[in-house]
Order: sequence, then C-alpha cells, then structure tokens
Amino acid sequence: MRTYLYDGTFESFLTALSLALERDEECALAREAGAEAGLFSEFMNAGTDPARAAAMRDLFERRGSGESWHHARYAFLSEAAGAEDAVLAYARLIKEKGRAADDMLADGRVKKVHGLSASVGGEAHMFKGFVRFKELADKTLYAKIEPDHNILPLLTGHFKARLGELNWVIHDARRGRAALYLNGGLVYAPLTQAKALEFDGKEGQVQALWRHFFKTAAIKERTNPELQRQNVPLKYRKNLTEFGD
Amino acid sequence: MVCYTFYMDLQQKLEILADSAKYDASCASSGSNRGGRGTGAAHQSGVCHSWTADGRCVSLLKILMTNECVYDCAYCVNRRSNDAPKAILTPDEIAGLTFEFYKRNYIEGLFLSSGIVVSPDRTMELMLEAVRKLRENFHFNGYVHMKVIPGADQRLIDQAGLWADRVSVNIELPSDKSLRLLAPGKTKDTVLTPMNRLAQQIAAHKDERRSIKSSPAYAPAGQSTQLIIGATPETDREIIKLSEALYGKMALKRVYYSAFVPVMKDSRLPALREPPLLREHRLYQADWLLRFYGFTADELLDAEHPQLDLSFDPKTVWALNNLDKFPLEVNKASYEEILRVPGIGVTSARRILRARRAGPLKLDDLKKLGVVMKRAMYFVTAGGRYGGIKKETQEAIKVKLLEHKNPNNQLDLFGQGEPAKEGLEAAVTGQL
Repeated sequence: MRTYLYDGTFESFLTALSLALERDEECALAREAGAEAGLFSEFMNAGTDPARAAAMRDLFERRGSGESWHHARYAFLSEAAGAEDAVLAYARLIKEKGRAADDMLADGRVKKVHGLSASVGGEAHMFKGFVRFKELADKTLYAKIEPDHNILPLLTGHFKARLGELNWVIHDARRGRAALYLNGGLVYAPLTQAKALEFDGKEGQVQALWRHFFKTAAIKERTNPELQRQNVPLKYRKNLTEFGD
Repeated sequence: MVCYTFYMDLQQKLEILADSAKYDASCASSGSNRGGRGTGAAHQSGVCHSWTADGRCVSLLKILMTNECVYDCAYCVNRRSNDAPKAILTPDEIAGLTFEFYKRNYIEGLFLSSGIVVSPDRTMELMLEAVRKLRENFHFNGYVHMKVIPGADQRLIDQAGLWADRVSVNIELPSDKSLRLLAPGKTKDTVLTPMNRLAQQIAAHKDERRSIKSSPAYAPAGQSTQLIIGATPETDREIIKLSEALYGKMALKRVYYSAFVPVMKDSRLPALREPPLLREHRLYQADWLLRFYGFTADELLDAEHPQLDLSFDPKTVWALNNLDKFPLEVNKASYEEILRVPGIGVTSARRILRARRAGPLKLDDLKKLGVVMKRAMYFVTAGGRYGGIKKETQEAIKVKLLEHKNPNNQLDLFGQGEPAKEGLEAAVTGQL
C-alpha cells in the first residue's frame, strides 16, 4: 500500500491528500516523523504543492457542503491517531456524493470526521476560558497551555479581539510552539523552553486575589467534586492559576 | 489601578463580598457581542473560565459592592441583623480589580450586585460609577451584569442598561405573600416595577436601533431574574407559571432557580437539612422545556399534579401521560414532535431531520445520531420498527426506565442547570 508522507503542515497534508485521491487503490497518509516502514508499504514524499492544496480546499468548499472545509481542517488539527486517513475517506465520500455527504450523519466516515472536528472545536472553546495569562515585567501577558489538540491557531483571533493593544504570548508547551502578538502583529514561532520568566511586581498579588475569590465562590452545602472534575478535567489544571497554591 | 491603601486590605474585602454574592445563580456571559477599540469583547455564546468545588461555572467576577444593607430579609445572608463583618469596595477598586482579572483571562467580566447602603439611589449611583469607570477609564468592552436596586430612581435604573450588557432584578420569593413575610420592605410591586421599566427600555432601544444603527445598545444581553426554591411553600406549578409569564410578558432572557441554602436561622424559615438540589434541577429542566422545546407550563403541571416528579424528568413524565401520541415514526414526524420525545434533545432532533434527507433512518442509526435510546426506545419507531416493550403501558415503561437509571444519573444531570451558556448552544448541552 502506498503511503503519502507530509511534513506536518496543513498545506503539505492537503498536497498528500490530493495525491492520494487521484489513485484508485487504497492509500494512506502519514506525518513524516511518525511513519513506520511496513514490509509492504511504499512511501512517497508529498512535499508541498500550493496548487494541489488549493484544489483540495476547492473540493471541500465547492463540492462539499458549507461545513465540509471546516470539518476537514478541524479534524486535521486534532492530531489524533488515524485522523489523516479519516479525512481521506471523508474527502473520497465528498468527491462521490457532493454536498449530501455531510447529511449522512450515521455513516461511519462522516461521523468520524464530524466527531474529531467537534472535539477540536470543543477544546478550543474550553481554552478560550482556560488560558491564564501572567503579566511579565515588560507588561507582556504570557500564558502556557498544553491542549490535546493543536488549537493554538483557533485561539488567536479570540484573544486579538479581546486584549486590544496589549502584547501577549500563548505558548503551546506540548508542541513547542507559540503565538506572539506584539505591537499589533501576530506571528507563530517555535518556542521550546521559555527563558526564566520575570514577572511584574504585582503579579503574585493579583494571583492570590484570584485564588481567594475562586475558593470563596464555592457554596459549601453544594460541594460536588465529581461535577467539577467533569467540567475542569484534571489534565488541564496544572496551568490554571486557581488550582495551584 | 488597584488601590491597596484602605483600612481593610483588598483580599479581605474581596473575600467578604464574594462570599455574600455567591448565592446568586446567574453567571451567564452570553448574548452580547461587544467589541471595538479598547480592551475586551463579549463573546456571543459566553465563556466559562473555571468551575468551583460545587461544580458551578465561574465566568464573571461576581461580587457585591457592599454587604451592608438597610433591609432585614430573613433568607438573605446580608440582612441587617446579621453581625458578620461588613465591607465596601470603592468604584475604583471594583473597576481596577475587574480589569486585572480580565486581562489575565480569569473572567469574562463583572457581575455587580449590592446590599443597600444609605438608600437605593445612593447604592445605584455608586454601582453606576464603578461600571462607568470600568468602561471609560479602562476602555473595557467585556461583559457586565448589573443588578438593579429596587426602589432606585427611574433615572438611575435607566442608566444601568446603557453601561451593562445584562441587567437583573431578583424576585427571590415567588409570591407576594412570601415576600411580605420574609422580606419586610419589599412587595411584588417594588420588584416588578423596575423589571417592567427595564423591559420597556430594552424593547424601545431595540426598536430604535432597527432604524438608527448608531443609537446606543441597551442591555444587549437582556434581563434576567432569580427565584429562591424551597424557602417558601410555593408549588413547582406556581413557579413555572411565573417563569412562563416572565418569559412571555417581560421578555426575560433567563430565570434562575437557586435552591435555598439555610445560612441564617430564622423561625419563619423551614429547617432544611440540605438545599433541595434535585428539585432545583427539575425546575431547570422544566424551564428548558418552556424555552426550547415548545412546551407550556400547563402541559407540564396541573392543579392535581402541582409538583415536578423527582424520579423522572418532566419531559418523560409528559410523554408517559400522553402515550396516545406515541410511538412517533422518526422518518415522518415533524421537528416539533421529535423534540417531545424523551431522550432526544435539540442537537439530536436536528440531526434526525438532516440525516433523513440522506436516506431513511433505521433504529440502529438513532444511537449514532446521539439519541439516548434507553429512554427514546419506548416512544419511537424507525421504518415501522419498534424497539420498546410490546405492551407499552405507562407502568411497564416506568419500571424499565428506572431499571436503566444509572445510580449516578442524578449527579450527572446537575450539570444541566449549568447557567453559563444559554440560547441554543446551551440547549444543546442541556439536552432532555
């Protein structure tokens, strides 16, 4: 079976997808770094071809329904095992059925991609609430996140609208990448380890006030840690100021 | 910025004033779309930032300006005769604290309530001053929910909606009789008058904005209120009828239900061992049925059955009492009919309508669409096939439904009262 390798970027993934769609026999898609050579597999580097990537976007946007492109993109950002092949199967279905594909909600191929997309959208929404900034000495706001999915690109628009002219950095420590919004411009950059951060003098006090508020706001007679756990999964708590000491 | 030079340090004040504000159930930050220059933007669907140990969402800095109060309402922790420590935050402190929290993304904005200090007018003036400072000095475009103080001058009440995204007056006790008994100084009219005024203002500004886009928004996230459950003898029927009227006549966005927590001992109050949380939950479910599922209060409760069933959710109870309308064929029934099936919520009803365009649905497909089949199976057919028991008597279905009930079910369901999100997105998470 032929496996098309992409370099981790969405554009390269779309290139690989386009190559795979052209072949009638079964193909697979895999990220370069993660692919393991099987005995009978044949690997091809997809590279990045902007024309092919644009053609794929066209397929989802024009042939598919109004939401196909959204689901394909979000499913890709899930970085879940099997997401690439799920999008490939979904793309094949859209090629065949057109806009009706997204109505086939009980079909495994559609359900899988819609499910991944919902999971990414859900985590992105949660992190609009879970990002916690700390003010650095130079007044830049810095937040560390470790989400399951690659949601950083889905957060930047929200915080740009929210924080106005303030400078901020959101650091996805799990993927070693950061979005930096400095002096009105947004850039993404690799960031593996932040230098020892120097915080604003008032930062500790504000954090303490917040923790006090958070503790006080709970009604003792209604204590329900199970419900709290459902809403704030333990895995997210280490970067939440109110759950630290 | 935050000023630390007052006689009581800010941390202590915050603790006292957050502690007194926490019994207000509202924490929604949705329904507004503020933005533009400055800092902050309100998010249409609302954002929860954290959840406290009681599992309630934190989305706003919910505080009282002061817990001092000239009133002596029996149910209220801030009653005059409670000699717990009193504190007051200045407008600058409130604005500064909100901004510091907001900037760090702890919160969506401010929820400002207050005890009555000096007079309703003076209290309202100070609260308006805090919110004005936040908007003007900090150029804050985040969410603000402001309580309106009953008895305050109409001129002041009118201003509230110009600064805030949401305004509210808490009814607290669901009848005039209970108000007179437990809240001396308050009557139905003192509460309903400002509420009515706000409703008129909201409607008038909305109208004006239709023709003149540049005219100011007035409480764009609308008006809400809260009812305390279990402190007084009103039945669920009286409560749900009241809510129905508030949604209809006052165009309220939300009615919140707050299970009475007996923080104060008083001979006029019932001696509850714990807050009636399950009852509160059932009321939220019934409320959802009014707002998103097309039910009327009379369909859910009548004079002979004035209380919601604690063992079954109100939609299931309605369906069991109306078995002649079931089973429904999911390939043919209308959206409105499908919404009335237990185990089918807004999302799964929409999915059914969409998926059946692509081809006829089988029973097996329903589960994949998110239908809770263990409840829905008694009420639907798909392609003529029925998965329920043969002889669908009310009692037989009840027994089966109870068998399926997971022992933790009630706990899981409490999430549904989650008031942070509203509108359809909330209906989707709070499915029945």
